[in-house]
Amino acid sequence: MTTLEDPADLVLVARDVRFDWADLPMHWLPGEPVGTHVLNVLHLLLPAGERFFVDLFTQALPRIADPDLLEQVRGFIGQEAMHAGAHDEVLEVMRAHGVDPRPYTDQVEWIFDRLLGDGTEAFFVERLAIVAAVEHLTSVLGDWVLHADALDGAHPVMLDLLRWHGAEEVEHRCVAFDTLTHFDDSYLRRARAMVLVAPVLTWLWCRGALFLTAADPACPRRAHLVDWARLAWAGVVPNPLRLGAQVAKWFRPGYHPSQDGSTAAAVRYLATSPAANR
Amino acid sequence: MTAVPRDLRGRDRPDRAMATLAAVGGAYRSLARRPGRAPTPVDRTLHLRVAERVVVADGVVALRLAAPDGRPLPVWQPGCHLDVGLPSGRRRQYALTGDPADRRGYRVAVRAVPGGSGSAEMHALAVGDAVAVRGPRNAFPFVVRPRMLFVAGGIGITPIAPMVRAAARLGVDWRLVYTGRTRASMPFLDVLRSPRVAVRPDDEFGTPTDLLATALAGAAVYACGPPPMLDALRADLPASRATALHVERFSPPPVVGGRPFRLVLARSGVTLDVPADRTVLDVVREVRPDVSYSCRQGFCGTCRIGDTLICTDRAAGDRLVLDL
Ligand SMILES: [Fe+2]
Ligand SMILES: [Fe+2]
Repeated sequence: MTTLEDPADLVLVARDVRFDWADLPMHWLPGEPVGTHVLNVLHLLLPAGERFFVDLFTQALPRIADPDLLEQVRGFIGQEAMHAGAHDEVLEVMRAHGVDPRPYTDQVEWIFDRLLGDGTEAFFVERLAIVAAVEHLTSVLGDWVLHADALDGAHPVMLDLLRWHGAEEVEHRCVAFDTLTHFDDSYLRRARAMVLVAPVLTWLWCRGALFLTAADPACPRRAHLVDWARLAWAGVVPNPLRLGAQVAKWFRPGYHPSQDGSTAAAVRYLATSPAANR
Repeated sequence: MTAVPRDLRGRDRPDRAMATLAAVGGAYRSLARRPGRAPTPVDRTLHLRVAERVVVADGVVALRLAAPDGRPLPVWQPGCHLDVGLPSGRRRQYALTGDPADRRGYRVAVRAVPGGSGSAEMHALAVGDAVAVRGPRNAFPFVVRPRMLFVAGGIGITPIAPMVRAAARLGVDWRLVYTGRTRASMPFLDVLRSPRVAVRPDDEFGTPTDLLATALAGAAVYACGPPPMLDALRADLPASRATALHVERFSPPPVVGGRPFRLVLARSGVTLDVPADRTVLDVVREVRPDVSYSCRQGFCGTCRIGDTLICTDRAAGDRLVLDL
């Protein structure tokens, strides 16, 4: 069977998802408390970032002079707001299980509110570049989670959250990049943003895994760097080498996010996601 | 720089890692010297003309829109729609129903809806009339699967027809169930002749109840039709052999049963009237075009002002005050 080209020109709209967390176990990756927490870091790390995206792109909206891009940014904002809300719900569940994520989330919020808070006009565009770089990483992760068969044994509601989020990241992967280039197409600026974003996020992720495995009394031991290799081998976290290769594509001159990732895979998942099809 | 957060492990000191990050952030901020440009306005309007007008079924008119100079139009995929600017200024979306390989014209089909102002304007268009459109955009992305079931209700056949043709061309094992009131009211019956097509007009078969009965195991369902039909499909899907349901992402429903009220923007001291058929958001946007919103259905929260979701909430009484 031949295929069509990947669907393009998508109208982006937030989906009214609902998740039922009533029976989510603390370690939703069966037999893998450390692996659970490595992925749990996403719930701690993403909401503050996504609220930052929403605020920044809301500021950008009145200045966008392309009606199609405007509509896409409008949809992007709604999708990111829903992502943040969904991850926040998981934090509530973690609290109920006796893990307080606050010390870590306070720091993440501080990074986005203060370190990346208001600034000059030049910094406004720089922040768009930072978001575009983060969105490159989230779309790479989204593509990974849609195809990570090793996660199929995870708790279904959590798996649906991760894949729904991943699918929307793939679906809207061009928006932040196109918004950045709408204001500034400097290669230097976008390259520089990734030089900052990729190491800092990797470091924050590792730090979060250490924090959570220490904060969870039911977790037998703290995470260790070796765990990353072990979990990547098992396929339940992204392979760092492959991740690095995909991140490196960002630095190709002439790169555009449409060259990577599969909208078709995202569309396929979203048509089956329990949360998105209530 | 602002006060660094407390140590992550609870030690009584500022967090050292965050202090380092603050220094990195400060250095990075100083690199950002050059402001961005003021974006050049992009005009996405396509100025087209009605090239052909054909009555294709009872109450259904098909229009072919083309550029006056015959130049090729932007490409589209099955599931795409056009955003049509009508002479009255209203905008309506119509699914493209022609052949994506035909780059010289866009084909849409419109059913006359009793009391429907948009469809009346579309029906009133004559060959040669100018139409300004935007698009094509895709709110119904089509992804080929080995087994597919298409379900069309009445004029819902318009986006489905190009999908069916693509599926047939690509060797998909497909079925189409096409419902409508009467055969005479159902467009494109002549071009959808195949043993894979089940035509089910209500006056011959009654109101359909088993739309998913012919779904093959693991089939992806693509459906377009009236909302009750889509609700029924959604309800029937879990018990069927099909595994996925794809429907078009609709724009928000119009306000029904609303009451008019006064809207006070407290900070700016402005008072506005919200009519029965408009949302607070619609009215606020006229004076505050920058106001934030996204889903327009009351769930994403981006339009929240105080306790009010301005896209859907209305005044409990005859007055609503916003901190704006
Ligand atoms: Fe997100
Ligand atoms: Fe995103």
